[in-house]
Amino acid sequence: MANNSIKLLAPDVHRGLAELVSNRLGVPLTDCKLQRDPTGEVSFSIGESVRDQDIFIITQIGSGVVNDRVLELLIMINASKTASARRITAIIPNFPYARQDRKDKSRAPITAKLMADMLTTAGCDHVITMDLHASQIQGFFDVPVDNLYAEPSVVRYIKENVNFEEAIIISPDAGGAKRAAGLADRLDLNFALIHKERARANEVSRMVLVGDVTDKICIIVDDMADTCGTLAKAAEILLENRAKSVIAIVTHGVLSGNAIKNINSSKLDKVVCTNTVPFEEKMKDCPKLDVIDISSVLSESIRRLHNGESISFLFKHSPL
Amino acid sequence: MSNNIVIFGGDSHPELVAKICENLDIKPSQVELGKFSNGETSISVRSSVREKDVYVIQSGCGHVNDTFMQLMILISACKSASASRVTAVLPYFCYSRQPDIPYTAKGAPLVSKPRGSNTSTPVNNKSASTVPISNLPNSNQINNVGLQSTNTVKRPGEDFPFKSLDSAIRSTIHMESPTPVREPKLVKTGSMSRIPMIPGGKVSTKVNNDAEELFNAQNSGYKLWVVQAGTLIANLLTTAGADHVITMDLHDRQFCGFFDIPVDNLYCKPMSQNYIQHYIPDYGDAVIVSPDAGGAKRATAIADSLELSVAIIHKERRSQLLKGPPDATLTSGVPLSSKPLISHHNNQPVIKRSNSNSSISSTGSNSKFIQTTMLVGDVRNKVCILIDDLIDTSYTITRAAQLLKDQGATKVYALATHGVFSGDALDRIKLSPIDKIIVSNTIPQDRTIKKLGKSRVGIIDVSLVFAEAIRRIHNGESISMLFEYGF
Repeated sequence: MANNSIKLLAPDVHRGLAELVSNRLGVPLTDCKLQRDPTGEVSFSIGESVRDQDIFIITQIGSGVVNDRVLELLIMINASKTASARRITAIIPNFPYARQDRKDKSRAPITAKLMADMLTTAGCDHVITMDLHASQIQGFFDVPVDNLYAEPSVVRYIKENVNFEEAIIISPDAGGAKRAAGLADRLDLNFALIHKERARANEVSRMVLVGDVTDKICIIVDDMADTCGTLAKAAEILLENRAKSVIAIVTHGVLSGNAIKNINSSKLDKVVCTNTVPFEEKMKDCPKLDVIDISSVLSESIRRLHNGESISFLFKHSPL
Repeated sequence: MSNNIVIFGGDSHPELVAKICENLDIKPSQVELGKFSNGETSISVRSSVREKDVYVIQSGCGHVNDTFMQLMILISACKSASASRVTAVLPYFCYSRQPDIPYTAKGAPLVSKPRGSNTSTPVNNKSASTVPISNLPNSNQINNVGLQSTNTVKRPGEDFPFKSLDSAIRSTIHMESPTPVREPKLVKTGSMSRIPMIPGGKVSTKVNNDAEELFNAQNSGYKLWVVQAGTLIANLLTTAGADHVITMDLHDRQFCGFFDIPVDNLYCKPMSQNYIQHYIPDYGDAVIVSPDAGGAKRATAIADSLELSVAIIHKERRSQLLKGPPDATLTSGVPLSSKPLISHHNNQPVIKRSNSNSSISSTGSNSKFIQTTMLVGDVRNKVCILIDDLIDTSYTITRAAQLLKDQGATKVYALATHGVFSGDALDRIKLSPIDKIIVSNTIPQDRTIKKLGKSRVGIIDVSLVFAEAIRRIHNGESISMLFEYGF
């Protein structure tokens, strides 16, 4: 192994994932300190030398104060850079602003591109993310991006927790059809699709089911759950079409706004999210929530990246 | 000109935007600012900016990171919508001042949560290990195996994130005494290197411990440092697509050098002088006072152009060999009040060397640093005008005002360009002997006026200077005139 070593950095809030990764790698989190003054300006200091080290910064960006998290991450990257780190890898499982990835209206900002530029400007040498909303976002970067997939972990979860012979994979919109079909292939299941006409962002209008779900356990898969209005509506439609039960598996459970209320009042049996987004507090209010731990994938990718090994193995397999 | 100029305002300071636009006699262009439900900033630009000269006005106030991201996204949106030039106008430039040591040194509340509070939330329902890893003596095992003695000493007030660093240092220089090991959970709220500059309100043992930690941190092989975000912020603005930056009274003038694009740093000085001449009665007899040595140049510049005398308040930390009140450092003036001219703001020794080791401390255990504040110059029966570029926590300015009153100043004005007033700064100012506080409107001052009353607050309007700068930059004229004469 190279004579430089891994250093794991994490901001002081939402350390859950970072601690799991650190546990798995057997590498302790580096002492560091973020401080905010009352106006929100961040100052950062690292408690030990990072000169010539391989830095991995693990951050979980959820709902709420996204911009604070982004600025903190940028400052942490920049701090490591100015402290002569050899390589800085930002691990951002839930890439912020990923949905603003195109100019859908005139003069709309392509904020995902801005995020990519900002990360590069701050001094990031490598980015690891998971289930990007659009994998084309990788092209916004001038540095290598590893887009990991939650799919292997999801497959394992379904095999372990769901009677999957009776199951059917549902895509809640046409855009997610590819993702659902991929998962259905891996599990050798059928898949159905819900076609919806969206009136405005975060609002659902009319939905039509394409496919047969009679007496099946429906597994809705999506990359992101925001207010969960879509999921709740989809569950209703599926049950109307004589489905047995409905669960939802999403990669990034942002669960903003009145998502918890929507889930609790919906006909969904379960909403399963990966821990790319911190939602520990929300689990108390919502018994239907469940977690898929993806720290194994992240820690394995860190190990492989550090040792210069191939990461593509992780696209199909989920390490234990 | 108005057919080619487009002005957007962020949501940080709409009043200033309206005033600048009024002075330019154009309307601010429509932009919708908001947030998505997940907290991401959303922006939609309502009017065309193609081939236009775009100015985006956003002051670095309010919730700084949100306003900054909004500015970045707005610039980027204009740039990608084919604006010919985008100028970022930041009346108050956020992140322009970075502390040498963590913020708490100034007494700002420590907002960040300690690490311990987040560890009790296991997210993995399958993983058997839910032991919070941060409670393990982690890095010691890896890095300092050779140095670490078996009894890990932990003290109350010890800050958690630096536990291993600190213990590593202590084991290197053999200073620990055998104290029983305590649970790290008990010591959640301590803060690293908190310099006890705040008078009162601190438990003495805590101060000592923190000071000791600071000492340790400063005398180890690895010196604790705080990242300077200035270059990053400058680079981010360039990355977003800003072609030009206009700002006012940057804390460091060197900050302009961090940018690869032109930066016009406007000065509030002409307006400040104007204010002094018009609104401070008998200003001819006034003394311009700098509250610290760093601002001396700023104060003398104003004093020179108004032909006033200058005084400087000097804070110093010096090694004090003798106990008891210091005497021989008096520079001028006779103390009128019973208080000594050099006031001990904190009788706690800033750094106490607990273990007098001859290789470290040659002067024995009496050696300590005390912090003194002294006034250079005569202010007796004078009107004093404190000049600073920025008031944030207001510790410096209120303490300076108290010292001036103790020295017989009749009235104390405090004049600063940027009134940030974070935390309970306004409460402190309200209780302080400052007769009037004068700040510019680079940051909204509604709260200040509400809290202190109209008579105690003076506002310098800078919208004219910004409007004139925008006009001149748009027309390609020189703006150096503005530096000298204001508007």
